[in-house]
Amino acid sequence: MRTLLLMAACLTVLSAPAQETDEWGGDDWDDGQWDSGWDTESSSGPLVTGFAELGLGTRLESSPYHDRLTLGDARLRLETEHYWDGVTFDIKADGLYDAALSKWQGEVRELSAQFQISEDIDAKVGRQILTWGTGDFLFLNDFFPKDWQSFFSGRDDEYLKAPSDAAKLSFYGDWLNLNLVWTPEFDPDNAITGERFSFFNPWAGQIIAPPSGINAVSQNGDEWALRAYKTVNGIELAAYGYWGYQKSPEAVDSLTGRPYHSRLRSLGASIRLPLGEGLFNAEIAQHDSLADSDGVNPTIPNSQFRALLGYEQEIITRLTGSVQLYLEHNQDHGKALATSPFPQWEDAQNRTLVTTRLTWRNRTDDITLSLFGFYSPSDDDGHLRPRVEYRLNDQWQFSTGMNLFFRDQSHSFFGQFHHNDNAYLRVRYNF
Amino acid sequence: MKPLLMILPLLLTTAAVAQQTPEPKAIIEQAELASYYAGDDGRSAARMLITDAQGRKQMRQFIILRKDREDGGAQDMMVFFSRPSDVRGTVFRVVKHDDRDDDRWLYLPGLDLVKRISAGDKRTSFVGSHFFYEDVSGRNPDLDTFRLLEETDDHYRLEGSPKKPEDVEFTRYEVTIAKDSMLPVKIEFFDGKEQPYRRVEALETDTIDGHPTVTHSRVQDLRNGGETQMQFRFISYDLGLPDDIFSERSLRNPPREWLNLRDD
Repeated sequence: MRTLLLMAACLTVLSAPAQETDEWGGDDWDDGQWDSGWDTESSSGPLVTGFAELGLGTRLESSPYHDRLTLGDARLRLETEHYWDGVTFDIKADGLYDAALSKWQGEVRELSAQFQISEDIDAKVGRQILTWGTGDFLFLNDFFPKDWQSFFSGRDDEYLKAPSDAAKLSFYGDWLNLNLVWTPEFDPDNAITGERFSFFNPWAGQIIAPPSGINAVSQNGDEWALRAYKTVNGIELAAYGYWGYQKSPEAVDSLTGRPYHSRLRSLGASIRLPLGEGLFNAEIAQHDSLADSDGVNPTIPNSQFRALLGYEQEIITRLTGSVQLYLEHNQDHGKALATSPFPQWEDAQNRTLVTTRLTWRNRTDDITLSLFGFYSPSDDDGHLRPRVEYRLNDQWQFSTGMNLFFRDQSHSFFGQFHHNDNAYLRVRYNF
Repeated sequence: MKPLLMILPLLLTTAAVAQQTPEPKAIIEQAELASYYAGDDGRSAARMLITDAQGRKQMRQFIILRKDREDGGAQDMMVFFSRPSDVRGTVFRVVKHDDRDDDRWLYLPGLDLVKRISAGDKRTSFVGSHFFYEDVSGRNPDLDTFRLLEETDDHYRLEGSPKKPEDVEFTRYEVTIAKDSMLPVKIEFFDGKEQPYRRVEALETDTIDGHPTVTHSRVQDLRNGGETQMQFRFISYDLGLPDDIFSERSLRNPPREWLNLRDD
């Protein structure tokens, strides 16, 4: 906590000189000032930008597993871009004191080189953030790593995406565009492991929160992800393929009892188009659990078919609403139940989810109210994410919100997190 | 002798037309072409100074690339933001249609997310400024009816009334169009009480590559206070922008050779 206060002091000091040196400051808005303010290629060297942020989050009720702090970030982000001889180099790095885990952390979020191989082919190599697919907080064909701990603790949405160490080739053709991403060493999700949040473990038969986290067997194999896409008259079509591993360690080694990432292959497709006053999207994916294609091994996740329908529309001026209907169909469900050591805790054959998002912006576009809700009719559980964001000016931003979990039973996906309801506040200074 | 005689009536007709005031709709359509369709394509750097009712200031800086699919019709546009730092790398892409809602996408670099934006009210703030989306991409003249209020030696003043008043926040507006450039130099929007509450003005214009161009404009919120000034620089037209740079490729990998700021 003392470190956090120290960082808060630093944030204040940091902000003071930056305001004075703002080259756009004052009332210098006449012709004589033109040259000073324009950020042209020739006049500026590599520009370093970034932000300093303090985030505090607390549990809303006491938990037998953790103390109250769910978010205690003092973070400094530095980013720069440099163009040299046809290659764009991008660096984004975070330094962080995480008071919830009582440790200093450094994270390079981007360290990449982007260049053109031919007129139709681009390459981007190195650490990078990758996203595709049409779901809103639901991922059917996006197997790039996610950081669920950040997502549930109230960090900025940006942190839901963890970086990949990968090479991405993009081909742009008249008939089709292709992206091929090769990740030489498997990048897992930052799943809920117990350091920050408690969760249900069927092998333990209860909610647990191992303080040192779950130590999954690391997987050294590679991953391939492919997307083919095209936009025709405003209709976006895409097909996806993935060859790799389950992103969360859902399989359990029957000898050592340690969780690991089992083999996974997925094929899918999506469409997104304007419909009526709004936007419609649909996406499907077939996840084949290659290590247990018959679905008889209870220590390995079954194959799944996933489907999503979504619609978004501006309801009234500056208020946008969206709805998503989502299905996870567990294949070979009968066999799974028959062989499972804990059939009472197995997922239902069909897990259904409804999500809604409401976003309102004020007239001057500096206040955003948003409410994202997950509700599962099949599990009778849910998750609510209200948030208020205020942009005071180009430097200061404030965000506050909550992560709330509802349950009927403690072993369902959202229900297991019910000890972790939290509220957070973040203050960011951009420079 | 004979050809000259044939031309003579043509000249007379043209002269007669020039003295006659064009139809209000024709004036507006000419103004739309002059404001939003100069050349076959165009590039400009732009920056905004946003001053709110409390006097607090914010800045935006971006580069706009634009290419017309047809004059007065469909158009591709991309806006690449460079400042402030929290929107650096954000790209806004629009395909403007005259027969249906525009297609809009926003690229968020932090998430590598190409977010599609549903068609919405275009009379809402563009990136936190007092400019509306519609001020940036142009209001379709078919949405309003027009009548001429005044004609002087150097300008027309017209009144626009919305065909669907329930879709907009104004009851009518008055637009002053300079005759020499056919650019709208002042637009005032009126509310139900006949009060002007919003003013859009061209503060400076210049002729660039033969096209009269607004280089400095301002929107004032006359009701709540506050204004946004927008300045343009490094403007050029008819660059020969390739069609394929208006695509998802340019969201993730901006077309550097076309974004290099320089005075041509």
